[in-house]
Amino acid sequence: MVRYITPILATLVGVIMLINAINLPKSNLGNPNGPMYFPLLIAIILIISGIVYFLQEFKARVNDFADFRALRIGKSPAYLLVSLMLMLIYTVLFDRIGFLYSTILFLAGLLFLLNGRKKWMSNIIIAVAFSFVTWYAFGTLLQVSLP
Amino acid sequence: MGIDVQTILDGFFTTIQPMNLFWIALGGFLGTVVGMLPGLGPATAIALLIPITFGMEPTSALILMAAIYYGAMYGGSRSSILLNTPGDGSAIAATFDGYPMAQKGQAGQALAISAIASLIGGLIAVVGFIVLAKPLASFALRFGPAEYFLLMIFTLSAIVALAKGQMVKGFISMCIGLMISTVGIDLQTGVYRFTMGNVHLSEGIDFLVVIIGIYAVGEVLYNFLSINKPVGEKKSVGKIWITKEQWKRSKWPIIRNGPVGFLIGVLPGAGGAIASMLSYSLEKQISKQPEEFGEGAIEGLAAPESSNNAAAVGAFIPMLAMGIPGSGTTAVILGAIVMLGLKPGPLLFENNPDMVWTFVNSMFIGNLFLVILNIALVGILVKILDTPPRVLYPVIMMLAFIGTYTLGYSTVDFLILIVFGFVGLFMKMLNFPVAPLILAVIVGSDMEQNFRMSLISYPNAIGILTASPITIALVIMTIVSLGFPFLSSWLMKRKAGKNNSEAM
Amino acid sequence: MKKIVGVAALSFALILGACSSGNAGEKDDSAYPKKNLEFIAPATPGGGWDATARAIQKIMKEEEIIDQSMTVINKPGGNGEVGWQYLSKKDAHTLAIDSSLLITNNLLGQSDLTYEEFTPLATLTTEWISVAVKNGSPYETATDLMEQLKKDPASVKIGIAPGLGNNDHLSFVKAAKTFGVDITKLNFLVYESGGDVMTSLLGGHVDAATMAVSESAEQHLAGKFKIVAISADERLEELPDVPTWTEEGVDIVFPHWRGILGPPDMTEDEITYWNEAFSEMVETDSWKQLLENNGWEDFYQDSAETTQFLKEQNEMYTELIDESGLQK
Repeated sequence: MVRYITPILATLVGVIMLINAINLPKSNLGNPNGPMYFPLLIAIILIISGIVYFLQEFKARVNDFADFRALRIGKSPAYLLVSLMLMLIYTVLFDRIGFLYSTILFLAGLLFLLNGRKKWMSNIIIAVAFSFVTWYAFGTLLQVSLP
Repeated sequence: MGIDVQTILDGFFTTIQPMNLFWIALGGFLGTVVGMLPGLGPATAIALLIPITFGMEPTSALILMAAIYYGAMYGGSRSSILLNTPGDGSAIAATFDGYPMAQKGQAGQALAISAIASLIGGLIAVVGFIVLAKPLASFALRFGPAEYFLLMIFTLSAIVALAKGQMVKGFISMCIGLMISTVGIDLQTGVYRFTMGNVHLSEGIDFLVVIIGIYAVGEVLYNFLSINKPVGEKKSVGKIWITKEQWKRSKWPIIRNGPVGFLIGVLPGAGGAIASMLSYSLEKQISKQPEEFGEGAIEGLAAPESSNNAAAVGAFIPMLAMGIPGSGTTAVILGAIVMLGLKPGPLLFENNPDMVWTFVNSMFIGNLFLVILNIALVGILVKILDTPPRVLYPVIMMLAFIGTYTLGYSTVDFLILIVFGFVGLFMKMLNFPVAPLILAVIVGSDMEQNFRMSLISYPNAIGILTASPITIALVIMTIVSLGFPFLSSWLMKRKAGKNNSEAM
Repeated sequence: MKKIVGVAALSFALILGACSSGNAGEKDDSAYPKKNLEFIAPATPGGGWDATARAIQKIMKEEEIIDQSMTVINKPGGNGEVGWQYLSKKDAHTLAIDSSLLITNNLLGQSDLTYEEFTPLATLTTEWISVAVKNGSPYETATDLMEQLKKDPASVKIGIAPGLGNNDHLSFVKAAKTFGVDITKLNFLVYESGGDVMTSLLGGHVDAATMAVSESAEQHLAGKFKIVAISADERLEELPDVPTWTEEGVDIVFPHWRGILGPPDMTEDEITYWNEAFSEMVETDSWKQLLENNGWEDFYQDSAETTQFLKEQNEMYTELIDESGLQK
């Protein structure tokens, strides 16, 4: 199934791009259609490539997607989902509670996820130490303005 | 300008003054360290370290910043090889074969050859600088919009053609990259495109965020798929030094691609990413064992490494000979030395020859220093591979986010980073080539603007293609590079057919 | 021994004196600034705004003009928009660098902020803008160029950077408009940076270009291209052979200024504090050195003058953008 979805998806993205490109605002200066030329070109190449890809897959009939099988076994899907959540939470917290605390939480979260709860001690030490070192290196030594 | 041996020698003696040697060492070291962090390439490294140069002698400041520059280039390839997380566009090609080498247990050799290749490429370019700076600078001026547009088309086609047998996937990957590059304000008309009303997106999506997302975050996520598999035997890091056989294989690619990278580096607006990717595809196409490329072929690492370091040196030519910053990094350096009271321009060579030659000599010495430093560090760096992945991955993730933050100082980039992390994951799962996408994001917006300016400058498409001998050459090279895979497979089939018939 | 005691006593007295006179001087503003100051550079490190902000920070500290520590914060995005949005929500302990982008962003429909919402504290520097033609160009003077544009506005390719609606672009539009050219038909090629514009002019890929004098002066002096006019009120010392627009019969003066902006609703005392601080700063040698290195001109105006200046600038830009066809 997967091998048909990808080409269809690519073609679909191309079509969406095409529609969006046509609807781009006109320019008051120079050529009014100038802004849409390049996006149109990309959309057309993408649609053609998508169709060719579909035909190729259709002809080939064999394909191996070992990686997708990994999605169904073990903890991998859980890892991906939880780390996505952690990244989103980090994004939200970063500006709110500042760099140092949010980074400690983020790092600790990932470590507990991957390294397991049993090693809680080393997880916390690593999270705090690494966050503090980077906070010092970037904020103080390199004078990056961190929240 | 004329080449005055006396001035060059004077420059050499100024360079080896203890204070200047110290700046070279400090800059090289800091650059290497910062460059190793994902997302922190030479431009960011220099921008962040500019405050050090406040109040310094302009010459020393220039030496220091140049040392940071190529230090960061060396550092960038370290993380490409060991962790598959390039810090900058020009370090991407080092992941193609460098990372597979590290996985095969040749991390030490990969690091060593990359340092050696960088050194030789850099030295070739410094010689080129001394001999050819002025004529090359005026040659570079002949590149107008049409020439740049076609150069970028050629580079993209060379990268798409790398995905042998899957060229259509390469095209799709490229289109996605080009799509990303159209986000933001359209320079020629001021029209907002695909920004969804977000202020931050009006300046477009920073290609470095895309690189960090797809490589660093994507790589970590991809590894989650196999993290539960029982760990096999401990990965050996292999010997630290390269074998005779490996040297024989990479000798010519290194020497060939130094000049290639140098020439491309001289063009303002082309840069290390284009140079290293072109070198990689050049080597693959002329190689006798193209099937080994991407699986850890040592020449596939040596060639782009030589090339990108040569390009870094070449990029200083337009800056010093004409006062034109040819890349993002040289623009930052230029801004900094202006603050110190130096006036870069066509008169710099005539008015301050001592400074220019001190600087050129410092690049010689700096490259030597960095090779020693980097080879000394190999032993320590490969230890990174001993770190349990369960600890290493979270740390890479964190560094990826911080690197991203330093690019735009906005958490909007975090969301873009996350999106491209998953894009990278799926592309790897579906076996899509990543390089066309990345290169397209890097050159996309320049390519479009040059295309639009060409439309204004020339009456029609034929006019663009035949604008000058350079464009005609580029068109032919593009056609050859796209046609080459078909041609070679056709030749192979014919040969095979012949052999068969002879056997019968 | 006696000597040492004497010196100690003397210095003690001096310190006391210094303190008391300090206290007396600060009577009005003893409450301000109360805490660390934030100084916003609405750009990433490595650019002109960031460099200016860090240079000001350094001078203020080294010359001991302000006692509180000052931190530079980078808030890049949207041509300054992100930084000024941030400033608009802060109290009097945050300042930001500004330029005419503050006005034009709003006029071009890229921002809801207006200059009126803020407290203008000072105008510090200006750069003048030059128009240059390539070597071997048929246009010897700015008047020649303008005559040609009057005949056929689209016939000359003009290179600008880094975007439409910026100063380099608008100064040319204003000159052309004053000369009577149909400015909606002008043919601009927009490059990403000043360096790219320079390259294309040197290579002859554009016929004329407009850029800051600091960018173009060296090339002109080396004879690589020719500056035909500058937007200053009088000829510049470093370019004695280059006429101003006024001399060419185009009556305009067009500064590209940079200044300091405070958050909304600052009190009289706070404004006075900064008037004193900045007027002291622009007199220091290190500030003058900075101006010289960067090719900037002193353009100092205090808070009240700046407020008036911004009002005039706003009117000027409104008219210009209305007529250039840029307005959204």
